[in-house]
Order: sequence, then structure tokens, then C-alpha cells
Amino acid sequence: MKKRSLALLVFVLILSLLVAACGGKGGGSDTGSNAGSSDGANGGGSGEKVTIKMFQFKVEIAEQLAKLIEEYEKLHPNINIELETVGGGADYGAALKAKFNSGDKPDIFNNGGFSELDLWIEHLEDLTDEPWVANLVDAAKPPMTKDGRLYGMPVNLEGYGFIYNKDLFAEAGITETPKTLDELRAAAQKLKDAGITPFINGYAEWWVLGNHFINIPFAQQKDPEAFIQGLYDGTEKIPGNEVFKQWADLFDLTLEFGQPNPLQTDYNTQVSEFAIGKAAMTQQGNWTQVAISQTNPDINIGFLPMPINNDADAMDKLPVGVPSNWVVHKNSPVKEEAKAFLNWMVTSEIGQRYITEEFKFIPAFTNIQADESVLGQLAADIIRYSQEGKTLTWNWFKFPGGEASSNKFADVMQAYIGGQINKDQMFERLQQAWDEMSK
Amino acid sequence: MQHRMKRLSDAVQQLVFVGPALLFFCLIVLVPFLMSFYYSLTDWNGVTTRVVWAGLSNFKRILLEDSEFRNAFWFTARYTLAAVVFANAVGFTLALLLTQPLKTRNVLRTVFFLPNVIAGLLLGFIWSFIFVKGFAAIGEWTGIGFFKLPWLGTASTAFWGMVIVSVWQMAGYLMVIYIAAMMNMPRELIEAAKIDGAGRWKMLRSIIVPLVMPAFTVCLFLTLSWSFKVFDLNLSLTKGGPFGSTESVALNIYKEAFQNNRYGLGTAKSLIFFVVVATVTTLQVIYTKRKEVEV
Repeated sequence: MKKRSLALLVFVLILSLLVAACGGKGGGSDTGSNAGSSDGANGGGSGEKVTIKMFQFKVEIAEQLAKLIEEYEKLHPNINIELETVGGGADYGAALKAKFNSGDKPDIFNNGGFSELDLWIEHLEDLTDEPWVANLVDAAKPPMTKDGRLYGMPVNLEGYGFIYNKDLFAEAGITETPKTLDELRAAAQKLKDAGITPFINGYAEWWVLGNHFINIPFAQQKDPEAFIQGLYDGTEKIPGNEVFKQWADLFDLTLEFGQPNPLQTDYNTQVSEFAIGKAAMTQQGNWTQVAISQTNPDINIGFLPMPINNDADAMDKLPVGVPSNWVVHKNSPVKEEAKAFLNWMVTSEIGQRYITEEFKFIPAFTNIQADESVLGQLAADIIRYSQEGKTLTWNWFKFPGGEASSNKFADVMQAYIGGQINKDQMFERLQQAWDEMSK
Repeated sequence: MQHRMKRLSDAVQQLVFVGPALLFFCLIVLVPFLMSFYYSLTDWNGVTTRVVWAGLSNFKRILLEDSEFRNAFWFTARYTLAAVVFANAVGFTLALLLTQPLKTRNVLRTVFFLPNVIAGLLLGFIWSFIFVKGFAAIGEWTGIGFFKLPWLGTASTAFWGMVIVSVWQMAGYLMVIYIAAMMNMPRELIEAAKIDGAGRWKMLRSIIVPLVMPAFTVCLFLTLSWSFKVFDLNLSLTKGGPFGSTESVALNIYKEAFQNNRYGLGTAKSLIFFVVVATVTTLQVIYTKRKEVEV
């Protein structure tokens, strides 16, 4: 009796080991099929199914992108693209790292460029010789360029500024759109006198402050590139910099004429309050178009520049840039297929139609026609400013440590908004944050 | 022979029952823990395949230079103190009330326990809506100053916001433990005390509290370790803001590792954090264990 129970126990133990071993084997066979698929590719697509893993963070287009992939799979029956979406900056980065370190490496994923390019470059395929490179907008190249080689395909162009409600401006009797700081102040005063809150500031969001708003004094430097290099070298300092001082005037203006308690106004609150007409201006980008017109389909909106002084020519510009890029994993067994898909996405008629009509993207390619009526009023303004060459650069990807610096900057700026520190202390702390991150 | 056979059988038996759990414990807890030991001595950024040995420089940097980590620790300590005290006080009071013969007590027990079922991340989003929109609306409506405060907009109100939500979440769970302990109190002791003429206060202090001391041990331990490690609520309610004033240690570690791309530094922080949490909770258990009474 005793012996039998012992035998039973041993049997159970062996069974549990077996289960564990099976689990291991399952993983093994998976890599096996991957290797097999790469063979198939080299053999010129012998009909074996190839799987491309795509990992991206634009939640807004997840559904439409899946449809585009379906179209591609219909045309290429031996290709299977697995799309996975994880939203939000840091969460995407953490998830991507987890995937790489656990061996589940995606073949196509997103990269912000500049310091993020430096971080990931050893895993990235050189895309310089891809056919689509010839049609790339010039402004979209620098983020992913290193030593003359291009490592990513821009997802789209985006721009931001003060979005303003044209009807509320008309109601307050503002006929000329403000282009300088004084004009902006006058407009804000008129709005306030008419009983309209001039600004709704989403200052609870680190990226509204630490990416977009603080980008203005960087982009308005005579030579932003040289200024940033100077900060790295220690030859330039934020305290005492004239442009930063002027920028603080704009900062004060938005606070003086803004809604109460901006530190607890997050992105959703900011956009929804603006959309229902609770405030006349808000600092956001053209990506809010869909959300705003869903909340209020009849709204009339456009972009205003973000002036920090009274030089109308220099101020009448919008910061336009590439928010993210598609990159291909260098050691992927299916990288040729991945590159072929990316190329199809921006060169085929179907792909181009999806980019503008379904994704509502401002294309970063000269050969894709963007229809303003499809993209909306905000994109139309961005395209107009871009075509007139009235753009500023996006610089936050060049900050040391990328997003980490933006977070630190946002903390400092929030402390200023909350009255914890004064203007000079803010400049000091911004400098400290820069030095700490570039160490 | 028989004896050895039995010992072998015992060993196999233990292996069978504990083995699978041990295997997964090793895979999921022990191995990552040991790996983080290694990473804490490197300057790995989480991406590159090249990992450079950094010795103890990470620890030196954290202890000597990192003021943000110190601030996060200070915040976490204050938050833990407030959350532990209030959550236990509320949980205990609820338990006292709900062991009285009330008609609705089963319903009320369920109601108070309910917040604990909702995940912390979700809870944070719900409450951030309540603080920002709900409270503001009530404030406008009634004119009561309490609701007009910028709840997530200043350092001190955001701190109390965190405490309020965690107390609301934890108190129900603690209530259940306290109720269980109170139901197990020997009737005769209570009756004897009543006959001896003990008043309500005297009863609470000299009979009930000593008798539910084991529950205090458990509840204090739970709340201490929960509040020390608070992360999801912190992330979804305040994101550490405004101006980083409500950043918990766990959030600071996460940001260091995944946002600042300093995986080595992050793991070093988490090891220091581990030692502190382990020490504090062990001390607490030893202390409250001594206070328990045997019946």
C-alpha cells in the first residue's frame, strides 16, 4: 500500500516535470518556425507563411492600421503581420525593453529619434537605401539620421501651437489674429473683458510643459542646434539666456489669463473644456482634431503661433516635427519582408490613402497628397505654415536622456506655477536638471 | 531499512507538494531578485547588449547625491504613516460598529469591502476624476470650501488625496480581519467584564484591544507593506505630481529604470528599498507580536 502511494507520488512528480519540459519545448519550436520562415524568404517566397511582428504605440490608429495590414495580407498571402499596440510614452518604452530582453523581439517598432536613436541604434537596420527615402520631406530626416545614414521612416508630421476658437474670438471682437506677445496680451484682455476664459492650460501633463512648451525657447534660439551643443559643452547656460527670459513672459501671460488650478488640468480635461467652448485658447497639437470635433462638430478652430516677443516675423511660426518613426530590427530574420511592407505603406495607392484618409496623418512624404478637407482645420494650418516655411524645430528628443529630462523640466515648471520657486530659481533648476541628466 | 524508506518517502512527498511552488517561486521571484543584484552593480541602460561593470558607484550616487530619491523616501514615509494610522483606525471603527446587532450589517460590510475589489490603477483614475471634476462641481453647488480646494494641484492636498483614496481602499479589507478577530473573542471574558462593571471605554481598552492584538499584527504588517510599495495608485492619481512632490519610492524606481534609462541605478534603488521595507516590517511584527496575549 505504502509502496503504491510512493509510486504514485513519483509519477506525479515526473508528470509535473514533463509539463515544465513541454513548456520549454513549445518555446523552442517557436524559434524553429521563425528560422524556417527566413529560409523561405531567401528562397524567394516558396509559399511558406512568414510572420512579421509589429509593435507600435499610436492607440488612435490601432484599428485602422489593422485594416491596412489586412489589405496587405490579401495581396501577399504568405505574409502574416502581428500587430500589437501599447499606448503612452514611458509605458511603451518599458514594454519594448521587456520584449527585447525576454527574446520576443518585434521586427517593426517605433523610435522617437535623436537621443532615443542613440539608445537603440545597435538594434536598428540601416534604411538609407530604401526607395521611399527620395520622397522624404527634408525636415523629417534629422531625427533618425546618424553619421549620414537614415535609420527610420517618419510616421507622420505633427505641429502644435495655441489652438484658438474662432467663434469666441469673434464674439470678443478680435479681428486680427495675434502674432506678437503684445497682441496676444491685448487679445487675452479682450476675451477676459468679454467674460471668456482666454487660456485653458493642461499643465498637469508633463509633456505639455516638458516637451512642447519648453521647446519654444530652444527653437527660438538663433541656432538651436548650436545652443543645445553649447549646453552639453557647458559654454551655454539657461540662466541669463535672453530667449528663456522672454519665454517666461509668455509663461506668465498664460498663467495670468488662464483658468484656476492649472496643475490639476490633465490632457482630457484640457481638450474637452476647450472643445465645449469654456476657454478660447489652449496649447495643443493637431492630433487633438478628432477628439475636439467629436465633442463639438460645429467648432471653428485654427492655430496661433506662440510669441515670446514682439518681432512679428520671427514669432509667426509653428513648431512642426516628426513625433515618431518606424524602425526595423537589424537581426530580424524577416527584415526584408518588414522593409517591403513599410515601403508598400508609403508608396502604394492603398497605403497612401490609409495614411491620409484613415489615419488622418499629415504625410512626411512629398509624393503623398494631403487633402485639407479630410485632415481638418488644424492640419490645414500646419500644412499652410509648413509650405510657407514658417516652422520651428522640435528639440525635446535632443535633450539628454530624452523623456527623462522632459519630466524633470516639467517638475521644475510646475513648481514655478505652484509658486514654490521664482523665475530665477526656475532657470537655475532647469540648468541643474540638464546637467544632472547629461552626466 | 524501513526507517530509511520512510524518510525517503517523506522527502519525496515534500518535494511533490512543495516542488512545483518552489520551482515557480525560484523562476519568478528568486532568479529576478538575484539578477537585480547583478544589474545593480552595472550601468546597464536596459537596451544595449554591452553591460559595463560599475561596482558600488550606483549605491554611492543614490546615498550621496540623489536628492529626488531622498524626497521620494520622505514622501513615502509620511504617506505610510498617515495611511497606516488612518486605515487601521477607520477599519477598526467600522469593525466595532458592524459587530453590533444592526439589521443592515451584512449589506454594510459588503459595501465597505467593495473598494478593495477595484484595482488600484482604476481607482486612481476614478478618484482623479472625482477630485478634479466631482469635487469642483460640488464646491460650486454648495459653496463649501473643502470641495473647492485644488485637490491634485498643490503638494499638500495631493498628499492628502493619496491618503484619502488609500484609506478608502484599505479600510474595508482591514475591517474584515478585525471583524473576524472580534467574533472570535471568548464571550465569557466580555460577560465577566460587564458583570465587573466595565464601561464601554474600559471594555475597549482592556478587553477588546488586547484580544484582537493578533489582528493588529496582521493589519499593521499588511498596511505597512502595501503603503510602502504604493505604485499603481500613485501612477494613476497624481503621477508623482505636482512638481514631483508626491512621488513614491516605487514610482521613482520605475522612472529611473524605464524613463531615465538607468536600469542599473534603478535596481540599486530597489535593493535599498527592499532592505528598508524588510527591516521596518520585521521590526513591526516583532514589536506587535510581543503585545499579543494568549487566552
